[in-house]
Amino acid sequence: MSQSAISKEEVTVDQLKARFPKAIKETKVDRPHRVTVNFEKDQIQDIARFMNDELGFDHVKGIAGVDSPAQKKIEVLYFAGSYCKPEINDLIVVLKTELPRDNPTIASVVSIWESAHFHERETFEMFGVKFEGHPDLRKLLTLDNWEGPPPMLKDIKFPEIGQR
Amino acid sequence: MTAKPPSPIMSIGKAAGPSTLDVSVGPQHPGSGHCRILIRVDGDYIVSADPDIGYVHRGCEKIAEYRNYVSNIPHLERPNISDAIHLNWGYVLPIEELQGVAVPPRGRYISTIAAEMNRIMSHLYALAIMQGVFSGHTTIFMWAFGDRDLFIELAEMLTGARLTYSFLVPGGPRRDLPLGFEDRLSKLLDYFEKRLVEYDRIFFSNPLLIARSKGVGVLERRDAMKLGVVGPVLRASGVKYDVRKVEPYGAYDDLEFEIPTFEEGDSYSRFMVRFEEMKQSVSIIRQALQKIPKGPIARKAPLVAPEGEATGRVESSRGEITYMVMGDNSDKPYRVKIMNGSFRNLIALPFLIRNVRVADMPIIYGSLDYWPVEADR
Repeated sequence: MSQSAISKEEVTVDQLKARFPKAIKETKVDRPHRVTVNFEKDQIQDIARFMNDELGFDHVKGIAGVDSPAQKKIEVLYFAGSYCKPEINDLIVVLKTELPRDNPTIASVVSIWESAHFHERETFEMFGVKFEGHPDLRKLLTLDNWEGPPPMLKDIKFPEIGQR
Repeated sequence: MTAKPPSPIMSIGKAAGPSTLDVSVGPQHPGSGHCRILIRVDGDYIVSADPDIGYVHRGCEKIAEYRNYVSNIPHLERPNISDAIHLNWGYVLPIEELQGVAVPPRGRYISTIAAEMNRIMSHLYALAIMQGVFSGHTTIFMWAFGDRDLFIELAEMLTGARLTYSFLVPGGPRRDLPLGFEDRLSKLLDYFEKRLVEYDRIFFSNPLLIARSKGVGVLERRDAMKLGVVGPVLRASGVKYDVRKVEPYGAYDDLEFEIPTFEEGDSYSRFMVRFEEMKQSVSIIRQALQKIPKGPIARKAPLVAPEGEATGRVESSRGEITYMVMGDNSDKPYRVKIMNGSFRNLIALPFLIRNVRVADMPIIYGSLDYWPVEADR
């Protein structure tokens, strides 16, 4: 990458920081094409709307939950990308937030990013994250008779396949 | 058709009326695999569709947390046996990024050749089953399946396995090109190019197919972007987006190829995107065979990945496949997240199978090339 010009990764980070100085806690340009943004969970809809309407990040590629029992938190990662703006369509912006493990709740972004529909359903099922305002928050992949905590949490162990 | 609803998929589970009937399509193999689509019909029209997936959910992401980085490869490529190299490659890229390992040029070329062969095989599978059988065209089913086997034989020669290769490990491919492989592959490509002309004559120019698929299941550009679909489905709606171009990996930077796109967004153009992509793949393999440099194929990679997370992506046959791998200084990943083409294209299913005739459903379903096992993981 050229040293003289400001990269588009940095431009994206600067735009987000300028618009949400309080909600965005930490930003990082991991490498070319990758940006990570840590933010306060209350602001998710505002950030999503700003990214969709003004920056051109019009879809999410996926939503990942990451369980950390030691820190009593569940992280939720949104992988946002762009189709409508060819100049930034090589970027993946990872929006990262932390939810308390005993009550993981966050506002749904389906009204802004329609593409999040099934990803939110999956994360709800696998991590128990409640996406408030999701139009159809049901189980998706596991059997109807699955009982117990969400299967991707670290408390669910499978000694028959190995140790962790 | 009435005006577009403000939110495309909000109509899932639309209320039943006195004239509606709920029908369960699947899960006993409606054609391509194991998923169930609950459709609500009013006469011959489908009012709404609700995909009920998960019949082949294996917990790949959970299992990946229990196995070390290399022994994860075989089970992470199993979800899509017709496209194993891409599932394999997408997983290996972020590990290499975490470990700071760079694959030597020859290794990148070999991976590219294997991946493009796999793309042809996967598109031939789609042509045979998803497009041929679903539209009732038995000849193309036999032809495409027969020709696919020739590629499978060469893949076996290269990797040692017919479908699930486990060919790429962190650091590079496992094997160099075997003796006589280049020669056999270029002969096969000569043969295959002639066959593509025949495919066009018997299938893509077939008035029956055109009548059944043109204008059926139209996904407009605006909706395609909003729903976040990927791969041939996205490119058939006029969005020029291909990971091989936007973030080149392997040897794609050195090779010249086009991204075929169509504007119509109907089932026929989704068929045609795959057809045109096969032609591009032939050209990519030819160039790669010509330009392939000499030298080592792989570097030694450590078994442990440091703490941190990396996201890697490749363009699989069903679209962009993104892996997020989180390391924790051990030999096992802390978390692996798979975002694949089938799961992202799932959202197009309830959107497109709505206000269409029941008879159009197999065509639309087939044109999406949805692979249930890949989506369920």
